[in-house]
Amino acid sequence: MGLLDGLRAILGSRAETDAGRDADPDDLFGMSTAYLTMQADLGYESLDVGALCFSGVDSAAFRDAVDEVEAILEAGREETGTAFSVTSDDHGYHWVVLADDDPEDLITSMHFAADTFIEHGYGSRLLAAVFAYENRDGPAYWIYSFRRGRFYPFVPRSGRERDSSAEFTLESALDGELEIEREKEYWYPLWPSEGGTHPWE
Amino acid sequence: MNWQADWGLRLRMFVTMFLLFALYIVFAAVITTYVGGGLLVFGLLFGGFSLVQYYFSDTLTLRSMGAKTVSADEYPQLHASIERLSQQADLPKPKVAVVDSNTPNAFATGRNQKNAAVCVTTGIMNTLEQDELDGVLAHELAHVKNRDMMVMTIASFLSTIAFMMVRWGAFFGGGHSRGGGRQGGGGGIVVAILVSLVVWIISYLLIRALSRYREYAADRGAAAITGNPSALASALLKISGEMDKVPKDDLREEAEMNAFFIIPIKSGVVGRLFSTHPPTEKRVEQLRDLEREMQSF
Repeated sequence: MGLLDGLRAILGSRAETDAGRDADPDDLFGMSTAYLTMQADLGYESLDVGALCFSGVDSAAFRDAVDEVEAILEAGREETGTAFSVTSDDHGYHWVVLADDDPEDLITSMHFAADTFIEHGYGSRLLAAVFAYENRDGPAYWIYSFRRGRFYPFVPRSGRERDSSAEFTLESALDGELEIEREKEYWYPLWPSEGGTHPWE
Repeated sequence: MNWQADWGLRLRMFVTMFLLFALYIVFAAVITTYVGGGLLVFGLLFGGFSLVQYYFSDTLTLRSMGAKTVSADEYPQLHASIERLSQQADLPKPKVAVVDSNTPNAFATGRNQKNAAVCVTTGIMNTLEQDELDGVLAHELAHVKNRDMMVMTIASFLSTIAFMMVRWGAFFGGGHSRGGGRQGGGGGIVVAILVSLVVWIISYLLIRALSRYREYAADRGAAAITGNPSALASALLKISGEMDKVPKDDLREEAEMNAFFIIPIKSGVVGRLFSTHPPTEKRVEQLRDLEREMQSF
């Protein structure tokens, strides 16, 4: 905890400033090499899907921002062929779900979407970016936390269990390629809703 | 989504803390001059005891409230909400506890972020809609993030000592001088007790003011976390309205924990100076300002 952080805590404004902090999406590009490692070294197939999770703000300006994200992705669909949809989950969070079998295009589209939120001043509403993989045991995800600016693995199993040994393998294999979250208490699960498979379902 | 920082609030908080600090320096100076080390050591022992309590605050508070830590299997929705709000607030996930009580309330405890706990009553879960409950949970997470337990414990540390001196000073000091102590020792004790009394009263009022300012700060924090000030405002209105309807029996036991509750149980005539929380209307007013600022952004 730095001096400024300490002062913010003492003046009771740390919650306000940290929750309102802008997102840094640049590290998202780390995922483009990670795709190769996941496939070649670890035997994880890409599901060719990624998703952005954000919490909404009940204002016209925010709805404009979401509209523009959709417009940009719509324009990109013709160029890169990235399909997208906007949904919301049981917890009232919203998702931009992107599908593209070219990982580079997928990441670029996701970066565009995140950038648009940031340009509109809503970077702080971005919670996470999720990249989906699977192997014979089931799905596995890399989650990018926009608050922390780091990646962490999430391998959900039935009954809301996490496969921590698989997560450990992923962490050690991708260390160096991705900016990995060191503090495990920040490895937040993003459980799918009942009946869903992926976090955004 | 960045609204204007509330510099007035920060300034008031800073001035309050500065006054407390100045008061305590005078207090320490007077005590050491008039009674030497003896009584001060005695007071520090009591103060140390309250620090030990603070160290175990998370478990002690939960136990004294009859709260039970609950797993994600028992309360999946509550856990999921807290997980996402903590992620937004950039906090490790706190423990989640539930009190089986009809009184709609919530509080946070724990001396730092790593052993914090957020506790809600079953009453509040039944009373509020999901987005209102999210607002309340975010308010408690903001308390954790702002380290309110630590700030308030440090702020009231010497106040506790002053209180102990008023309470035990006469007894302790009186016995000492009768046993043939220094000349004028009795007079010193009287001064010390009077000074302690004044310090205790003033610091009590300052601490209450500080506590109210931190409620405003936590409300702003909650609004930043959820992006939805009006949901918290409607939660506050619902809870405060509901508070008058609940039976008195429940309230008696819980009255001591008022400082950590989202809405204090006792309200009304006690007087604004003595309350730990600002009046609901004022908090709602502030949240409405944030909402307006957000809409015009």
